[in-house]
Amino acid sequence: MDNAAEITPQAPTQAMIQACDVNVYYGDDHAIRNVNLDIAPKTVTALIGPSGCGKSTFLRCINRMNDTIASCRITGTITLDGQDIYDKSIDVVQLRARVGMVFQKPNPFPKSIYDNVAYGPRIHGLARNHTELDQIVFTSLQKSGLWDEVKDRLDTPGTSLSGGQQQRLCIARTIAVNPEVILMDEPCSALDPIATAVIEELVAELKERFAIVFVTHSMQQAARISQKTAFFYLGEIIEFGDTTQIFTNPRVEKTKDYITGRYG
Amino acid sequence: MIDMKQGTIWETKEMQARLRRRYRKERIFKSVGLGGLLVGLLALAILVASVLDTGLSGFRETRLKIDIYMNPEIIGNVKNLHGDAWTKQVRDVDYGALIRNSLRTKFPDAKSRHDIFGLLKLVSSDARVEIMNRLIKDRNIIGKTIPINLLSSSIVDMYEKGQILRSSDASTRKISNKQLAWLDKLQAEGRVTSQFNWTFLTSGDSREPELAGILGAAVGSFLTLLVTLAIAFPIGVATAIYLEEFAPKNKWTDLIEININNLAAVPSIIFGLLGLAIFLNIFNIPRSSPLVGGLTLSLMTLPTLIIASRAAIRAVPPSIRDAAISMGASPVQTQLHHVLPLSMPGILTGTILGMAQALGETAPLLMIGMVAFIVDIPKGVLDAAAVLPVQIFLWADSPERGFMEKTSAAIIVLLVFLVLMNGLAIWMRHKFERRW
Ligand SMILES: Nc1ncnc2c1ncn2[C@@H]1O[C@H](COP(=O)(O)OP(=O)(O)O)[C@@H](O)[C@H]1O
Ligand SMILES: [Mg+2]
Repeated sequence: MDNAAEITPQAPTQAMIQACDVNVYYGDDHAIRNVNLDIAPKTVTALIGPSGCGKSTFLRCINRMNDTIASCRITGTITLDGQDIYDKSIDVVQLRARVGMVFQKPNPFPKSIYDNVAYGPRIHGLARNHTELDQIVFTSLQKSGLWDEVKDRLDTPGTSLSGGQQQRLCIARTIAVNPEVILMDEPCSALDPIATAVIEELVAELKERFAIVFVTHSMQQAARISQKTAFFYLGEIIEFGDTTQIFTNPRVEKTKDYITGRYG
Repeated sequence: MIDMKQGTIWETKEMQARLRRRYRKERIFKSVGLGGLLVGLLALAILVASVLDTGLSGFRETRLKIDIYMNPEIIGNVKNLHGDAWTKQVRDVDYGALIRNSLRTKFPDAKSRHDIFGLLKLVSSDARVEIMNRLIKDRNIIGKTIPINLLSSSIVDMYEKGQILRSSDASTRKISNKQLAWLDKLQAEGRVTSQFNWTFLTSGDSREPELAGILGAAVGSFLTLLVTLAIAFPIGVATAIYLEEFAPKNKWTDLIEININNLAAVPSIIFGLLGLAIFLNIFNIPRSSPLVGGLTLSLMTLPTLIIASRAAIRAVPPSIRDAAISMGASPVQTQLHHVLPLSMPGILTGTILGMAQALGETAPLLMIGMVAFIVDIPKGVLDAAAVLPVQIFLWADSPERGFMEKTSAAIIVLLVFLVLMNGLAIWMRHKFERRW
């Protein structure tokens, strides 16, 4: 029955994603410097830091969205379940199905709600017939907490929903292909506080199943939803550790300055 | 000096003068815009009115009801013939004699050769065919006198439409006093009627104005545009997608881009020369055919189409591409599922504008020999054909006065085609946009 999420993730190693000495350049601009980061399954890992410090850039390395930027060059390795995702044998289309992404601005396709969610399963051939596809759409919308709100209007455009609903639709679209990791790049920055709270609750539920990497500029939000936090500053990871530790007892002076609001 | 106290600063004389100046500028700006619009509308109204004024009569024809005696001596013994023998005999009948005799019976005052010639000039040369068709339909009319509504000649038609005036000098007037007297008699008997000119809409070109039709040119234009569309649309859209989404940004693509923009501004006659050199001289495609016309016009429309398509593709928000790519859509899927459907309304508008431009294009077609006098309606893209604008050009150039109204009537047909195409563009935009 639960088709979309029945496949259990790979044997839970300690780290699902390992970034090792990652450097990213936009032309001559050195945007990310020697980043090492482990992302654990069933965990929310928050990336915080002032804007322009490279959080999005790093996030986009994990699903190779940076490939679409001609000037962008990456060194170092990032592994997903032990496989180097920049290896020649990796199919980038499959990688992006395994590593989903939710963007800063809700960007549903200008298609119906149903088609938005069904799009991924369709192109990846995850459903053998209409019933299975319906089932995937149903489970995904339910998991993203949108089902009750849209069940009567699945054929209306996804773009006709409110901002918060659109963002949850994007989440439903992402989980419909049953990814292992969901990357979220400031998914609440365009939403009002109520819609933000709904998304935060949703993230807490989703982490039972997926590894979530969550970029935010709000430290309160990072403290509320994440178990791990990485503090980025000028392209480097200054400090990485348990969220409670980072926020209560930062080891590095810069982290302390940042979370106490001295700059950023 | 400005009073520094807040609240009063807005009430100084300078401020009020400023305000008045601003309002005046706005008023002038608005009225200049409105004036421009009105001038444009007026010009359009004058154009349409003058074309309709001269052209609408082209859609009507004059017919003269003449009692024709189906003289068995002239027709010959055909009653019992069948099949090929009948067809041949019917075709060989001297219908001219039938008309001549019948007209002379009607107007016994025409005696001299000159008079009889003038009498015959009242009806069109097509009248013989009309009588033949009656005979083919019903062979029992042989030996009887039957009234037939014959197509009038061009001069009678022009007189009836007021294009030749009775008051004008008889020595230069195309219709003689005697002919006018005969016409008056027919008129008095109610034998002169005006009806819708189907010939104009259903036949090809002719040397006789009253027999000339637009269908040949319309079909030629249609086939030519079909070829243009079939070639320019896929190539144009594919080029636009490649340049916009896949091509590396370097000196070569910059050069290509500049050249495409330049090509859009190249005078169309140059494309005609190119078509002449390539399609006729190298590939030996039949001269005057819609195929060669369409190929040439597609060269001409391609730059326009590429530029319009690129603009439409560029207008698709990058966030949609990001969404598709992040879902694991391949580049081709991203294009086909998202970018193309969203840019289609813009691409179609560009395409139809390009097609409308091609529809009205004359110069390049002159270069590839599409100015021939062609009577037959083209049946395929390899037949010799005329196109609407060239047909207009040919008729406008004709010394026969009767072609004047045909020229305007053809312009009306061309304008109707353009309006229809634009309507199609709007309809398609709507249809595609409803899919968001
Ligand atoms: N597409 C790009 N091309 C060139 N430079 C970029 C691009 N995207 C980001 N950068 C640069 O990389 C740095 C990090 O940006 P980003 O990852 O967006 O920061 P953040 O998400 O933390 O605000 C910035 O200096 C930014 O100017
Ligand atoms: Mg960012």
